[in-house]
Order: sequence, then C-alpha cells, then structure tokens
Amino acid sequence: MKKKLKKLMITGLAAVLALSVASCGTTETATETASETESNEQTTIGFIFVGAKDDYGYNQAAYQGSVAIENEFGDQVKILRSENVPETSEATRVLEQMIQQGATILFPTSYGHLDPAIEAANNNPDCVFFHQGGLKNTDNVGTYFGTIWQAYYLAGMAAGGVTETNQLGFVASFPISQVLANINAFELGAKAVNPDVTTTVIFTGSWSDPAAQTTSATTLIDGGADVIAQHQDSTKTVIELCESRGVKSVGYHIDASELAPEGWVTAAIWNWDDLFVDMARTAIEGNFDGSIYDGMYRGGLAEGIVDLAEFGQCVPEDLQAEILEAKQAIIDGTLNPFAGEIKDQAGNVKVEAGQILTVDEVEAIDYLVEGVIGSME
Amino acid sequence: MQTKLQSIKSGGMLTGVLKWAGAIAVPIAVFAVFLLCQGVNPIETYANMITSTFGNSYGRGEVIIKSAPFILIAAATCLSSKAGLVNVGGEGQFALGALFSTAAAMFLVKDAPAVIGIAVMALAGIAGGMIWGGIAVGLKVKANMNETITTVILNYIAYELVSFMVYGPLKDPDSFNWPQTPEISEQLQLPSIVSGVNAGIIIAVIFAVAVWYVTKKTRWGYKLKVIGSNPLAAVHAGYNVGKTQVIAMLISGGMSGLAGMLEIAGVEMRLRQTTGSNYGYLGFLAAWMAWNNPLAAIITAFIMGFLFISGNVLEMSSGLPSSTVRILMSIVLLAILWKGKGDKK
Repeated sequence: MKKKLKKLMITGLAAVLALSVASCGTTETATETASETESNEQTTIGFIFVGAKDDYGYNQAAYQGSVAIENEFGDQVKILRSENVPETSEATRVLEQMIQQGATILFPTSYGHLDPAIEAANNNPDCVFFHQGGLKNTDNVGTYFGTIWQAYYLAGMAAGGVTETNQLGFVASFPISQVLANINAFELGAKAVNPDVTTTVIFTGSWSDPAAQTTSATTLIDGGADVIAQHQDSTKTVIELCESRGVKSVGYHIDASELAPEGWVTAAIWNWDDLFVDMARTAIEGNFDGSIYDGMYRGGLAEGIVDLAEFGQCVPEDLQAEILEAKQAIIDGTLNPFAGEIKDQAGNVKVEAGQILTVDEVEAIDYLVEGVIGSME
Repeated sequence: MQTKLQSIKSGGMLTGVLKWAGAIAVPIAVFAVFLLCQGVNPIETYANMITSTFGNSYGRGEVIIKSAPFILIAAATCLSSKAGLVNVGGEGQFALGALFSTAAAMFLVKDAPAVIGIAVMALAGIAGGMIWGGIAVGLKVKANMNETITTVILNYIAYELVSFMVYGPLKDPDSFNWPQTPEISEQLQLPSIVSGVNAGIIIAVIFAVAVWYVTKKTRWGYKLKVIGSNPLAAVHAGYNVGKTQVIAMLISGGMSGLAGMLEIAGVEMRLRQTTGSNYGYLGFLAAWMAWNNPLAAIITAFIMGFLFISGNVLEMSSGLPSSTVRILMSIVLLAILWKGKGDKK
C-alpha cells in the first residue's frame, strides 16, 4: 500500500517536472505586461553583489551606494538586492530573475560579473546595466570605476613612513590590472617617502577567502612585514589578524578603523553615493544613451569618487601633512603616481622619464614595479 | 513488540500522507515564523517565490537546468552507495569532467563538427570523472583507505587543479588576466531545446532510471546489493568484491564527470574556478535525502533546484540577507531526510 503510494507520489512529481518542461515558453506575455505597467510609477533597480553587504569592504561600499539611491528617490524606486552571487552564469540568471521582477536598471557590481551581465544585457536590450570596474562595454552596458590607485599611492606613503622593518606586505586577489595598479601605486607611494622600502605580495586567487587571507597575512608577518595592505573584498579578517599580531594595517574600500584602534594606518576608500545617484537618475530619465556613463566612466580623487580614510594614531602629524599635500597635488593634476621613470621587477623601464600613464594605460598594467617582491603566477 | 511494529508499518496510507504533508508543511511553517520575526510577510514571500519561479518560462527553465547536474550526481552517488561506497567525491569528479571536456573542446575538437566534437567532449568528461573516482577506489581496494576521506580530499585537489589550469595553460588570452578559459566553439555548445533548457535534463533522468534498473533488476545489481550490505558474505559467496566496487565507482565517477561536461557545454560555455561549486555536495545530499533511491533522487534533486533558484527571489523580495535562504534550505533538507528515514526498508 505504502509502496504504491510512494510510487504514485514519485510519478506525480515527475509529471509536474515533465509538465513544466513542456509548458516552457507559453506564459511569457503575462509577466511582461505586468512589469510594464509597474514601471510607469516606479523604477525597479537591481543590485548584485559577489559577497556579503556587511563585509567591511567592496560589497559594503557598493551596498552603501544602493542605499544612497534609495534615500534619494524614495518611493520612486524599488531596490532589489542579491548577495553572494558567483561570477559564473549564475550571475546571468540572477540578473534575469531581477528583470522578471520588473528591474530595468541593473548594477552588476563585481569584476567577474561582466561577461554574465553582457549576456543578460544582450537578452534584454531595453534594460540599462552599470558594471563596476569592467574593461569593455556594449550598447546597454556602461562601466564605471574609480582611479583608486591615486588613494593607494597616498596610503603607500603612509605605510612607507610608519614601517620600521622597511618591509610592507600586500594580500592581493587576482593578478588583473586593477589589482596590479594598486600594488604598484602602493609601492611607488611608499618609495616616495622611504626609498629602501619593499612590498611583498601574495595572490590568494579569491576575493574573499578568510582561510587564504589568514595564511597569506601570517606568512607576510612572519617574513618580517610590519604593515599589511590588501586588495580583497572583505578586509575584516586581515585587519583583525594584524591587530592581534601587533602589526599595522592599511584598509581598502571603506574606513574600517574601528577594527584596529592600535594599528590602523589609513585606507583607500570608495564614495559611490553621489555617482550611483547620478547614474540612476540618468537611466531613470531615459538619458543613458550618449551620457558620460554610456561607455567606460572613470573618476578619481578630484571627482570625490575615491578618497583616503582617516589616519590612525600611528601616523605622525608631519607625515599626515605631507600626504595631504600630495593628495591636493593629485587633485590639482600636478602629481601623478604613474609618472616615469618606472621600472618593472626585472628592471626594464616601463614608463619613460617624463611620460605619464593615462587611465587606460594604467588599466592595462600587466607587471609589478621594482621593489615589489612576489610573482603573479 | 511484533504487533506494535506491524501496526506502525501498516499505518499505511494515512500515515504516509501525513508524513509527506508534515515533511512539506513543517519546514514551511517553521520558516514562516522566522520570516515573521524578521518583519516579513511569509505568505506574500512564498507566493512570490513560487509565481516568479514557476509563473514564467524563464524560471521553470532555470529550475530544470539547475536540477540536471544534481540529478546526475545524485544518481551516481546512489550507484556507488549500493556497492557500499560512500562517494562524497561528486564535487571533484564533476570538476575533473568539466576540466577534461573544456580542454578537449579547446585543443582536440575546436573546429570539429558538432556531433563528433560533443561526443569527444562527453568522453573526455567521463574519463576525467572516472580517473578521479578511480584514484579513490584504487586507494580503497589496494591500500584500504577510507573512500569517504579520500574523495573529500580529492575534491580539494580537483579545485586546486582547476585553478591552476585556468590561471595557466587554459587561460583565455583575452580575459585581461582574469582566471577563466575562452568560450568553447559555438558548434560545441548544446542547443537549447525549449527556453534555454538543453538536453542535459533528459540525459540526467535517463541515467537515474538506468541506475534504478541496473541496481534493482539485474544480476550485477544484486551482486552490488550483497556487497554493499554484507561484504563478508559476498566474499564467501565467491564475489570479487574489489573488482565490483572498482567498476561501480568508475561508473559513478564517469556520471559525475559527464555532469561536469554538460555544465560546460550546456550552461557555462567556459571553465572558471567556481564552475559548479557545491554541485557535488548538493547532489550527494539529494541522494542521501532519497536514501539512495535513484528515482526518488530525481525528486529531491528537483526540490533542491527549486530552492536554489527561488532562494534568490526570496532574498530580493524580502530584503533579507542571502544566508536566510540557506536556513530555509537546511530546514527543508532535514525534514525530507526525516521523512525518508521512515521509509527506509
């Protein structure tokens, strides 16, 4: 009896499964009209994040930007969010699901979300996509990013000034240009105040793997580094580890000084709020095509998109003043972190004396500069 | 004692229905309370999860696409478990299948016609999974090492191997140093049958039914059952336990490897470090939720596919963090596991 029932259940459920295959492609119209009528009153904006929105880092910074949009437009917008979206075709699916839920403006916020976003964008030509950090764009996918290496250069100055061992450490993620540019700017900034300083880098192969972060930071500290910087999405693990080991740390993405009252140096941070609001307004008003965001938009210290966090107590006042002076010089355009002469690890001249790298050239960097120890493999 | 046991067993229809109802209702109710505590309307949320997943062709298609690898890996896990092997290595066998088939697509059959190219990719995927399963069962048979441990360790090695390959020899030269392979040639990509769904689901269901048939209806299946339930008796009966286990594990690994190939050729089109991450473990869970009955595993894998897809909707519409989806998943899994326990013969 019972066996029979079980078989019945299984057959029944299998039938449901079969039916759902069979009925694919029939009820498309109903949902489409529903989302259209809704969009007249309210614009739905979708955000996907590769990590958690409270990661003391990349995703938290982007999340704060999404909150800024919510605060600015109130009931005019509805925000959909999805965290921990992997950088695979999973991301395409979540974006498509958001579009099914009525989203017309989408923010795929992680580097690896680009190809999945382009796929979703090709399927949905009426939606506008703003991708964070991408190096290519399409008709309805614009990318935005900040010249965060400017702030990294300043953070490097701070680190180079406070180190006692002349050894800095860097917990990096992937050997892509945006990461390499930050490592290089960090070392160049450090060298500007301390010619003997080196930066040892370790790539974890992940944006946020606490185990890899811990082993990498531990290795760097055991090797003699006394200031640790990072290019990770979640900065908490490394900062807390440094604090417990009694070494200094440089944060990234947001001001996490509360995690390290003793060893906090400073951080290169994002300020997405105004940019996100402006991008959202442009898209809501239907002005995306031909706007500054319809392509590859980049802003820096001058535009207020990137900034330097508050200094920690270990940074002496005269050094602070020197760094703030350099910051003003970058804003004024009289100082550029990537001004020649710059050599790579092997000693080859990569930037001639007198030459200054453009933003595009920085975003194509594929080497580490002299003074950085470690390999990209 | 005897009569009491019997009365429970012959509680029959009513108990069965009640148990099923309970296995479905209890997690839904428990999670509803949780949602209420978070200030979210549970009825609205549930309705949204179902309508947005099954209410349109895209959602239905995605559930089916997601279920296919779970079904295939679950069926593979069922087969090896019949031979008394706890194969937790679906994850690594899947990864090797994905790796081998991608390598084949890049170097062997880049310009080959679809039929040959896809067949070669499938064979490469199966071979990859077989090698990974073969290492584990070889260590078991020859060195008496516990396969549960070795398969888990091999999962980590597989991940590192895939990472190494996508950073190095297989890296897409146009990816700006981002660790991923190039997209496989267009003719090697499995065509969509209906709204994005490829043939993967059909293959997966065929394999699940085949595993059920082989284990239930054939002599070899009977042999597996004897070996699995009492290896000592099997030795006395003159069965070659080691050889049979090796064969079962090779087939199991090959199936997971095929799942990896289907994911590459049908869904992802390129290999990344995180391709199919956790699929192996979810497939394993689906098998054990179904108490290693491959037909029931089709259902449990399908439920997992649904939770996987609708979980994002839950997150979007309720505004709760993504970890809440895992809470719902866990409660449902536990309930079904509990329900399955009652059914175990």
